Amino acid sequence: MRKKGKSVTGKQQTAGWAFLAPASLLIFIMSFYPMVMAFITSLKTGSGVKLKWGDPLFINYIKNIPADKTFIRSMGNTFLYLIIEVPVMLILAIILAQILNNPDIRFKGIFRTMVFMPCAVSLVSYSLIFRSLFAREGLVNSVLSGMGLISENINWLGSTGTARAVIIIGLIWRWTGYNMVFYLAGLQNIDYQVYEAAKIDGANGWKTFWRITVPLLKPVIVMTAIMSINGTLQLFDESVNLTNGGPANTSITMSHYIWNEAFGQGVGHFGYASAMSFVIFIMVAILAAINLKVGDTRD
Amino acid sequence: MTERKSSAIQRRLIPSYIFLVIVSFFSVFPIFWMITAATNNTVDIARGKIWFGNQAVTNFKALLEAASSQGAGTSLGRFLGNSFIYAASQTILCIFLCSLAGYGFELYHDRYKDKLFGVLLMAMMVPQVATLIPLFTMMSKLGFLNTIPGFMLPAISTPFMIMMFRQNSRNFPVQIMEAARIDGESEWKIFFTMYMPIMRSTYAAAAVITFMNAWNAYMWPRAVMTKNSAQTMQILLTNLSNGYVIDYGLLMMAVLFCSAPTMIIFFVMQRQFAEGITGAVK
Amino acid sequence: MKKKVLAVLLAGVMTAGMLAGCGGAAAPAADAGDAAQATEEAAGDEAVAEEAPEAEGEEAAADLGGVSEDPNTLTVAAWDANFNIPALEAAAEAFKTKNPDFKLEINTVSGSQDVENAVTNAASAGDYSTLPDIVLFQDHYIQQYVTNYPDAWQDLEGAGINWDDFGAEKLSYSTIEGKHYGAPVDNGTAIFAYRTDILEECGYTIDDVTGITWDKWLEIGRTVKEKTGKYLLSMDHSGDDLPYMFMQAEGLSQWKDGKPDLVGNETYQKILQVIVDGANDGVILLCNSWSEYTDESIVGDQVAGVMNGNWIIPTIKQVEENKGKWALTTIPTLSGAEGYAANGGSSLYITANCAKADLAKEFLAYTFGGGEGSMETYDNALKNGGVITCCISAGKSSVYQEPDEYFNGQPIYADIVEMGAHVPVVEQNDFHYNLRTAIGTAITNATTAGGGADLATEIQTAQDDIDRQMSL
Repeated sequence: MRKKGKSVTGKQQTAGWAFLAPASLLIFIMSFYPMVMAFITSLKTGSGVKLKWGDPLFINYIKNIPADKTFIRSMGNTFLYLIIEVPVMLILAIILAQILNNPDIRFKGIFRTMVFMPCAVSLVSYSLIFRSLFAREGLVNSVLSGMGLISENINWLGSTGTARAVIIIGLIWRWTGYNMVFYLAGLQNIDYQVYEAAKIDGANGWKTFWRITVPLLKPVIVMTAIMSINGTLQLFDESVNLTNGGPANTSITMSHYIWNEAFGQGVGHFGYASAMSFVIFIMVAILAAINLKVGDTRD
Repeated sequence: MTERKSSAIQRRLIPSYIFLVIVSFFSVFPIFWMITAATNNTVDIARGKIWFGNQAVTNFKALLEAASSQGAGTSLGRFLGNSFIYAASQTILCIFLCSLAGYGFELYHDRYKDKLFGVLLMAMMVPQVATLIPLFTMMSKLGFLNTIPGFMLPAISTPFMIMMFRQNSRNFPVQIMEAARIDGESEWKIFFTMYMPIMRSTYAAAAVITFMNAWNAYMWPRAVMTKNSAQTMQILLTNLSNGYVIDYGLLMMAVLFCSAPTMIIFFVMQRQFAEGITGAVK
Repeated sequence: MKKKVLAVLLAGVMTAGMLAGCGGAAAPAADAGDAAQATEEAAGDEAVAEEAPEAEGEEAAADLGGVSEDPNTLTVAAWDANFNIPALEAAAEAFKTKNPDFKLEINTVSGSQDVENAVTNAASAGDYSTLPDIVLFQDHYIQQYVTNYPDAWQDLEGAGINWDDFGAEKLSYSTIEGKHYGAPVDNGTAIFAYRTDILEECGYTIDDVTGITWDKWLEIGRTVKEKTGKYLLSMDHSGDDLPYMFMQAEGLSQWKDGKPDLVGNETYQKILQVIVDGANDGVILLCNSWSEYTDESIVGDQVAGVMNGNWIIPTIKQVEENKGKWALTTIPTLSGAEGYAANGGSSLYITANCAKADLAKEFLAYTFGGGEGSMETYDNALKNGGVITCCISAGKSSVYQEPDEYFNGQPIYADIVEMGAHVPVVEQNDFHYNLRTAIGTAITNATTAGGGADLATEIQTAQDDIDRQMSL
């Protein structure tokens, strides 16, 4: 399908550059330039407009960040969300896509719409909804105690474990449908007869899933994985609006903590906050690179 | 015969249906609760009432009033209108610029353009919190605070959208492009008269995603829209959710108004959306 | 069919964009009537944007984004439609007696954080023109904002305010390097309100909880919990002000000479132990969020006592059934003396962008500053927003002496103004909230539910963390 542009002339080359120039320039001005500015700021210490150069220059990176237990914890939290949420969500999304791709399933459109619906709810809104549902006297507790499953209301957002769990549940709720649409789209490009053939060969559902669906969907999986990893490492709204990082900062994410350092607590440590955000940038870049490599070698 | 066969198939699919029903239930329930909560008062919401109440009109009136007391020239209509205009403008420019770029990157691709694309992808990983102050300073110097350009400039060109159009462009029939060139059509005319109509489902999917992102944006609009009359629904929502005494009925009504437009757009556009995504992952 | 839908949508979107592209934005559907105005200001395009924001017409003036050209109009940014904003409206009304043409444009923001960020952003960009004439600013932060962004403010010297008419504690926040910057709005005096019916059920009266030691208080709390299942106190633990208020009631601060004074501070350790014991024994309920604190614990009727800044009173009054059952008194202390504290509260500050400083000063002095209009201002602020003054002379008005039926006929407002005069001045610090967060973590970890860690170790961790943050 792809044709290498052998016949592309110089004039067409110019046209090609002209096509991609506006968008590319904007990315340089709106993302890279501010990032360079942020990097310069990350070499400074102090607060507000009274920033001064670090001494040594990289003091935020070599001394301040490693000594910051809260940042280390926020990093741990973010990775915990990443490790649990991303695989669960992606696998759930693939299974849903697989089921909905079966031509014999009825009411496909209705199911697909319902599963995607959470994605249309804004981040601020869904955090408010989940916070109410999981409140001490909220609906989840009244349903559970109504069913006799719990004798005392669970303090969901008040204990570390359950607060983290609520964030993960929220994330899975919000994003599974979104990823499912990508898998569903990927599956449309696979001929369903491949499955029929596998069935004749005696492969069961589980086997076809791992042997056919997953390998054929690999490019899509790599793409959604990068998107999810990036989104999770930059997780902000859920931490702010759902748990407010609590209890005792044990569910706070990196972005939320950076925001607190820069804007949240009145003390604007802009240099330090920029340094921490650079750490996120580097981590996302490394993970994305690994992801692409893994996606590549098995091809 | 065939009927029996199909009912046998359906029977085998029962576990799948059960799974789908459970997942659908959990997906929709919080949204359903959001709608019922908008018809209840604070006390009922705090006590976890599930079903509809009779406070819808009261909550709506309270919301109208709260929205218009945000400052001079504010009203619920203004906030909805702002959100819509910003999101729509951002959507149009974004899908135009990014489709141009995706088209350029794919159909005119060479070593240098592929390299450049790789570099642009790095922008996806730039954390928003890091660029907030430099961007604000830039917009302030340009005089773009409280304006549509201020709202959308940082978001109208995104690596993700360029990537989506670049992937989809692989499905664009190159032959007709070459035929057109032989007919002496200009490169730009090919883009406008052939590429755009053929790629319409990609445009639809890109538009849905961009519109949702723009509508839901919070961190950046909060910074750049310093005037209340220029602010968006999301900002109204957070304004309403802070205070010593919070009216949750009103708040849930606001949540409903905040979420309904994107839900409606998705409903209307879902087929094009699915088609567009399909092209992107080929 | 689907093509049509798409076409219609795209056309709609294009039209909106086009309108935006040639001179202004389309008007929101709901008020098509003032479409013309809306296009002028809703969200300009490049053409509008080239002019500075403040060059726009009078229409667009009232917001965080600038000042008005009208010589009799001031702009102010403030938050809380049920509290501060009615107070500002009352002041604007009162000032009309003196200046009939006066107009106060109030711009609502979600909280003090928005004002802080606006100042931060404006200062970073080196352009204060986005600020309004006056901002409401919360007391705990203002020192730091004046220190960090000295160019952003204008002081109130020469405004003719009689500062002796205010509680010293309130003024201690807004007086920076000997200069007065803020005009006080509300009085943050802490109250301890109890449900007398529940106390009675357990064999106690309001006098039994007045002027007692924390040990005695915990004992009463355990009895109340046992007999009625209710907590004697609750607090939003995501922003836990109990340590601050308890310390202030002792006349002490968590700070000493600009450094955190936590480790080795015996009083502090005892105070925190009261909170931890209270939480462990079901006497104090530590809530996870503001909404759990107000809507579930207070409105949800789970507590027999509420202690906080007096702005919590409207929340207590939300429960109609409990009318006449509440009474308020002072705070227990370690020694058993009556304790006085304050929490929350904010003041009004004039920004650098205000070109009408004389008008602004005159307005603030006449209304909130104890001038001729202060009785009217504070009376209406109290009636419409529940805002209680810290201006001693304004607290003498008849409205303040009225008995409050909800509190069983107690003249609570006069009582609160009286209590406010006793609040000791304690050392403040820019890192107030950082310390609050760190100590909140220490308390959580020290409670049984949080793992029962050693309190002294946790305090050490908190102090180390504050020291680290202050050195950044």
